[in-house]
Amino acid sequence: MILFTVSEVAQQVVSGLATGAIFGSLALALVLIYRATHIVNFAQGEMAMFTTYVAWELMHRGMSYWPAFALTLAIAFVGGIAVERVLIRPVENKPILAIVIVTIGLLIALNGLAGWIWGAEVKAFDSPFPNTTWDVGGVAVSTQDVGVFCVCLVTVALLWAFFRFTTVGLAMRSVAINPTAARLVGVRVGWMLALGWGLAAVLGAVAGMMAAPSAFLDPNIMLVILIYAFAAAVLGGIDSPVGAVVGGLLLGVILNLLGRYVDFIGSTLRLPSALAVLLVVLIIRPQGLFGHATVRRV
Amino acid sequence: MRRALTVFNLVVIAVLVLACALIPQHAGELTVQRLTYVGIYFIALVGLNILVGYSGQISLGGYAFFGIGAYTTTLLTLGKPGMELYGHHPPSWLPLGNGMHAIFTIPIAALVAGLFGYAFGLPAQRLAGVSLALATFAVAVSFPQILKKFENVTGGGGGLNLNLPETPFGLDVSVPHWLYYEAWGTAAVLALVAWLLLRGRLGRSLGALRDGEIAAVSSGVNPTAYKTFAFGISAAYAGAAGALFAELVAYVNPDTFPASRSIILLASLVLGGVGSMYGALLGAFAMEYLQIWSENMPFVSKEASNQAPAVTFGVILILVMFLAPYGLAGLLRRVGRAIIHRLDTKTVALSQSRRAEA
Amino acid sequence: MRKALVAVIATAALVIGASGASAMTRTDAATPGISKSLITIGGTFPLTGPASLYAPIPKGMQIYFSWINSRKAKSDGKRGVYGRQIQWKYYDDQYTPSKTVELTNQLLLQDNVFAIVGSLGTEHNQAIRPLLNQRKVPQIFVSTGASFWGTQAKQFPWTIGWQPDYIAEGTAYGKWIVKNAPNAKIAVFMQNDDYGKDYLNGLKEGLGSKASLIVSTETYEVTDTSYASQLAKQKASGADTWVLLTTPTPTVRALATARALAWKPDTIVINSVSAVDSVMNAARNSAGAAYVNGAISSAYLKNPTNPKYAKDAWMRTYYRIMHKYAPGIDARNGFYYYGFAKGYDVVRVLYMAGKNPTRQSLIDATKRMNWANPYAIKGVRDKTSATDRFPISTIKLIRYQDGSWTEFGGLIQGR
Repeated sequence: MILFTVSEVAQQVVSGLATGAIFGSLALALVLIYRATHIVNFAQGEMAMFTTYVAWELMHRGMSYWPAFALTLAIAFVGGIAVERVLIRPVENKPILAIVIVTIGLLIALNGLAGWIWGAEVKAFDSPFPNTTWDVGGVAVSTQDVGVFCVCLVTVALLWAFFRFTTVGLAMRSVAINPTAARLVGVRVGWMLALGWGLAAVLGAVAGMMAAPSAFLDPNIMLVILIYAFAAAVLGGIDSPVGAVVGGLLLGVILNLLGRYVDFIGSTLRLPSALAVLLVVLIIRPQGLFGHATVRRV
Repeated sequence: MRRALTVFNLVVIAVLVLACALIPQHAGELTVQRLTYVGIYFIALVGLNILVGYSGQISLGGYAFFGIGAYTTTLLTLGKPGMELYGHHPPSWLPLGNGMHAIFTIPIAALVAGLFGYAFGLPAQRLAGVSLALATFAVAVSFPQILKKFENVTGGGGGLNLNLPETPFGLDVSVPHWLYYEAWGTAAVLALVAWLLLRGRLGRSLGALRDGEIAAVSSGVNPTAYKTFAFGISAAYAGAAGALFAELVAYVNPDTFPASRSIILLASLVLGGVGSMYGALLGAFAMEYLQIWSENMPFVSKEASNQAPAVTFGVILILVMFLAPYGLAGLLRRVGRAIIHRLDTKTVALSQSRRAEA
Repeated sequence: MRKALVAVIATAALVIGASGASAMTRTDAATPGISKSLITIGGTFPLTGPASLYAPIPKGMQIYFSWINSRKAKSDGKRGVYGRQIQWKYYDDQYTPSKTVELTNQLLLQDNVFAIVGSLGTEHNQAIRPLLNQRKVPQIFVSTGASFWGTQAKQFPWTIGWQPDYIAEGTAYGKWIVKNAPNAKIAVFMQNDDYGKDYLNGLKEGLGSKASLIVSTETYEVTDTSYASQLAKQKASGADTWVLLTTPTPTVRALATARALAWKPDTIVINSVSAVDSVMNAARNSAGAAYVNGAISSAYLKNPTNPKYAKDAWMRTYYRIMHKYAPGIDARNGFYYYGFAKGYDVVRVLYMAGKNPTRQSLIDATKRMNWANPYAIKGVRDKTSATDRFPISTIKLIRYQDGSWTEFGGLIQGR
């Protein structure tokens, strides 16, 4: 039965914004790396999952939430830099296939490693937000969802400020636009790339820690979220951070509405719908909503 | 040098063919079965090679076309009566017939998969590099879900049992041996076809497109035609492999064709060596045996963790990319070249010294 | 040139030789898997991948068999079964049916197993059922509650299930709802596959003429982690009874999500597979005790964490043996217990197969089961006959309260 009650539509939209915020957060990480290096990091989700497990371990050993959160971000940062220096640097100039395979190898290894260290039993993950739900005109809005949404916005705002107002941010932007020219003016290109990966890992960790309270932690939760994040990044524009977040939110809402009101799609075709969005955007408007169209001069 | 290389190649191929034909007489049933899987994967990888190696298009969706071939064979061997026996009612416009032996379904499965591949290639040939990787990945991930959706045709999540394989035409060959020769026979034929295609215009055009699309186009190569053809033929090969797979396993369901298998397919090709037939063969061996070997690794005890094989596989992939980006075949080629060169110069020196003596 | 030829032929010889060397030597035993001192049995389980939380099952079985192998039987003083040690082999099929086929072939051809025991997964057992029946290999006590192991026993006589099937369980829930909440509005949240569908069919059968009480049926895919969309719809349907036909991890998510949507149905029914402690604890932590208290489920085995059984002699035996053979693991995990309890029945039919067991005598033994498994709830019996191929079909309803499940009501015959 299709009930077009306003409150139900609103409910679907609100839930969609919450899941979309998580897609957007992970998509931000993907976009960050793509902008700097034109590499799509297939291991981004697994890196996020792994750092979320690290956070869980810290909290399990008695650390309270915010210190564990901060320490995890620091660990993620170092981890991201390490991955870039150790794994990506050697294959930087190799054909794109080699780089794709390396990130896939990392995906497989991290997934296995997480299962090895922490086992496959699902674990509860603490949330910094209280477990309350508000009733706004018939729509249930949980504090958790609001919190995730705000964190996502704050993250993209901080990132924007970083790129706009700091010297390091400027250096990173220059590397993304023209590495050779950047090198000529003295920017340490290699370290800027590593920094990009480090920041992306931090963003991934945030996404993971925002997703885990409701998805519950097991080694496979980020695999599917990664796919939605790809779709979100492509939709918003694979080289636009703002696009990543907008794409994520939009995708979350669209998927919820499609799933609820189009019987054919239901829950079975939810994932394929996201991917259909990805395919359509890639073919019709490859730069997405906010990205820049690349023009090849012959 | 060139002549030496060609002769070397011919000899190696002759030896491989001989080994392939003789192995079932000497090996146990389990080995024969595992080698049948190798043959099946070889077919799929030869096809993937055309797309990735020669045409330079990354595909993370190969296993989806493999699955299409598998399901085609399943539906055709079961036929309408078979499907209804299991309680499924496929739509009447599907030309299912009354069930045929699996061997006849191979070309049909290849055709069906090839058409789907071609249809995908039409819009996808505009994409390149990372975008194409994502697009093909999207196909691989959606595939199981789409199978689940169209339950009437595919049997949904519960899957479909095929009839157990049988030796056709009353031949006096045991079933495992029959499956082995069927797979490798098909593999030999298809590999030959691929080799001939790539030697000719197709190979040259694809190579030109891969190495410099703008230059190729300006030289008159039609990128659409060749790229979509590459997609189609790669999918057709995967479909043929899938047909044989369905016959061997005798069961299909959506979980049998997850996106991770598409990734492993590409990874195996890369391990074996992109761009070469030997690479496809080595990759096929890797796909079947790497899992088996890594489960029995010396320092990683299975008791300690069941995840060891996965971690090992990931690490091996990364290491191979560092140390041997052209895969095992690339390594062997370097070794082989060195040997040939050494022998060749020695032969030259020998004949020179003989002439000097004479 | 000649050198190259020689090198190549040598390689070829090596290849052919190696393949010959790897040819397995068949045992000359008349019955595969049975030798003077060993019985070899095997199974496949998802040790890694999406269903790896079931991995403790084969381990529980292994520990039981280890104990049998070392203790002296009361009947003849011999260790093992009539003096034969049980060799238990199991492999990881990663929850992929095609791998199940490959590994089952490996068990048959390389490990020469006597029987395939306890393999896990509905589709997985479905994939190997025809080939095992064709080769007349017993496929016993499969770890899945699909009903067709029993209902299709005529076509597949070498296959038999073990636990109460999903239809029987669903029927029990349906009957209870009709009796205790005849005007309920039921919402069903189910996994979109045969697991969920079997349960739903049972539920409908139990509801009988009142099947129209179901006002909302929503499904989810195993790959998804967010069910907010479907559950919002279920909440909007006004249902007050919620039946969860979901596997463990999705159950936790569903409960937490429903709580976050401020939907609290009066009655929550959770299927037995998911009513395990790890799920309930995680749900209790995130949705709160008040939310999960009062949830209904069913059981046929004793619950190792139920304080009622703390002094039970057999439960003590379980913990004692677990601590002896695997001191580091958490024996409270119900999946170890499940494997352990199954191990009891496996050993019992092995004995029934006789001092010189054959595959035929083993499968015949499974048609004459009639005993009370001491690890099952009192009153639950293993009973089979030539026409009844459902070993365990008795269940009891249980209710959750503050960290433990309490049995209530009488025994229910599912079939």
